[in-house]
Amino acid sequence: MYERRLTALLPLALLAATCTTLGLAWVVEPQFAPTSWPVRLAIVLIGAGLVVATIRLALAQSQSAARAAERYVSRLCELDSTLVQEENALDLIPFRKEDAPWREFAQKVRRRMAEFARQADEIEMARSGVEVRFRRLAAERDQLREILMNLADPVLAIDSFGDVVVANASAERLLDIRTTDEAHPIFEQLERCQDLLNLLTETRKRKATTPRSSEVKVAAADGKEQFFRVTCRTLATQQHSMGGERGAVAVLTDISNLKTIQKRNAEFVSAVSHEMKTPLSSIRAYVELLVDGEAEDDATREEFLGIINNQADRLQRLIDNLLNLARIEAGVVAVNKSAQSLNERLAEAIRVLEPAAEQKQIRLTAEFSELYLGVLGDRDMLLQAAINLVSNAIKYTHRGGSVTVKSRLNDKEVVFEVQDTGVGLSPDDCRRVFEKFYRVKKDREMAQGTGLGLALVKHIVEDVHGGRVEVESELGRGSNFRVCLPGLGQLNA
Amino acid sequence: MAKRILLCDDEAHILRAAEFKFKRAGYEVVCAFDGQEGWERLLEHRPDIVVTDCQMPRLNGLQLAERIRSTPETAGLPVIMLSAKGFELSETEIREKFGINTLLAKPFSPRELFRRVEATLARQELPAAEVHM
Repeated sequence: MYERRLTALLPLALLAATCTTLGLAWVVEPQFAPTSWPVRLAIVLIGAGLVVATIRLALAQSQSAARAAERYVSRLCELDSTLVQEENALDLIPFRKEDAPWREFAQKVRRRMAEFARQADEIEMARSGVEVRFRRLAAERDQLREILMNLADPVLAIDSFGDVVVANASAERLLDIRTTDEAHPIFEQLERCQDLLNLLTETRKRKATTPRSSEVKVAAADGKEQFFRVTCRTLATQQHSMGGERGAVAVLTDISNLKTIQKRNAEFVSAVSHEMKTPLSSIRAYVELLVDGEAEDDATREEFLGIINNQADRLQRLIDNLLNLARIEAGVVAVNKSAQSLNERLAEAIRVLEPAAEQKQIRLTAEFSELYLGVLGDRDMLLQAAINLVSNAIKYTHRGGSVTVKSRLNDKEVVFEVQDTGVGLSPDDCRRVFEKFYRVKKDREMAQGTGLGLALVKHIVEDVHGGRVEVESELGRGSNFRVCLPGLGQLNA
Repeated sequence: MAKRILLCDDEAHILRAAEFKFKRAGYEVVCAFDGQEGWERLLEHRPDIVVTDCQMPRLNGLQLAERIRSTPETAGLPVIMLSAKGFELSETEIREKFGINTLLAKPFSPRELFRRVEATLARQELPAAEVHM
């Protein structure tokens, strides 16, 4: 290409060199010179002219080659990285005939550029991949951190040097610790919860990474005690430090409610046991007296057998109530809801309890609404609730008193009330009277009871029928139990 | 001379059964329906022995026992306790802390109660030297 062009100038260059040499030789040695001065001058001028022409031609060709190369390279540079990788990319560049020798060179440059472009593409792809992965990991880390920080369960992790690496918001709040408090190391701050501190210290020394659990008691800032189950384990991912200790993580689960339930359960079992043993004691005692022949006359035997029968009934009632309550609480009782007339159910309850009221000379009256008070409810359960309330009113009203059962419509609710002129309840008793087995101590001698009747009423009204039950009472003046149920709508009775 | 026994229980039927048993055995029986009434009857009738339920209104059996032990005139009176309570109080605790001589769990046998009462009274009547033997 370019060299060939320079070779083409060679004859001209030789002629120019000959002429120039001759001219110079004549200047140095006149004997070689032609005799005529004009001829001499002409030869010298021609030689000089040829030299100048040769140089100019060489320069022109060099400039032309440089321009062609520049044009190729600049056009190649204009191509994007995809086009430059195509084998026929040079066809996109307009060629002039005289540039043809440069095509091969341009193709080499293009191939190298294509190689660079391909490598650049690969690097870019790898970089993009790394960037995507980094962003995803950062997002996952932020997400995990957010989840951890917002976990209701306190989480505390320490490294092999005992420095806290993680303490979520719950842990900071519960243990009143500040991970950013440089002045007070975390172990110093944790001294108020010595059990947790001991557990973390022991865990750090363990080689096994299996979790271990323990219960700790934490006194909150307000002095209230909370119980937590702490699951502690060493952090396997952390390197052993010089002391052979590792980091440890502790997850605390609030079991205060569980403890309360366990305590209530124990109290419940104790109360059930007591309530069952009482009638059983009577039965056993009277059976033994009969077996031992202590009752010598028929009247006494009759009396004892009556008591045994009565106490067996009491035991039966207790078991029935317990089962009903357990079934309702567990939601396994079959509830058959249908449109019920509240007044009819109340009238039925009154009919059942009239003999008991008469026996105590208690005036049992009904003041029902004239309207049909419809309620979507379970017939037997509603009747049971009404019987329990009226029966309680009769039990805890002195001879000669009165019990009134009222019903009315209140906006969208149907309401019934059982008012008595009985012994009444203190404000504390009013708050606790619906608890299972709660019996007002001072009134226990007035009547037998399982302490489950009102608990059952509450479940029937509130859990099964979505209503509410309230009590207003005054010691020595009587009580008013009010049951409000969602109404079906009203029609004229 | 007939022995006098004070029976305290808020359960009328249990009281009646025990009363029947002891009356037939020749005891003079005084009944009370709660601890407070029991304490009043005790001061009034000065029984030889007290049989009381644990859980009673107004003054429970343990409070009654404490009151008996802390009053010089009644401090030596034997007390037998009937209890239907569950596991919240250990027998040793009840005996040592409240000075209960004998603890009987409900449901109880009137026959067994009678035997325990007789045994306790017999121990009370022994001269001090024999008791310590």
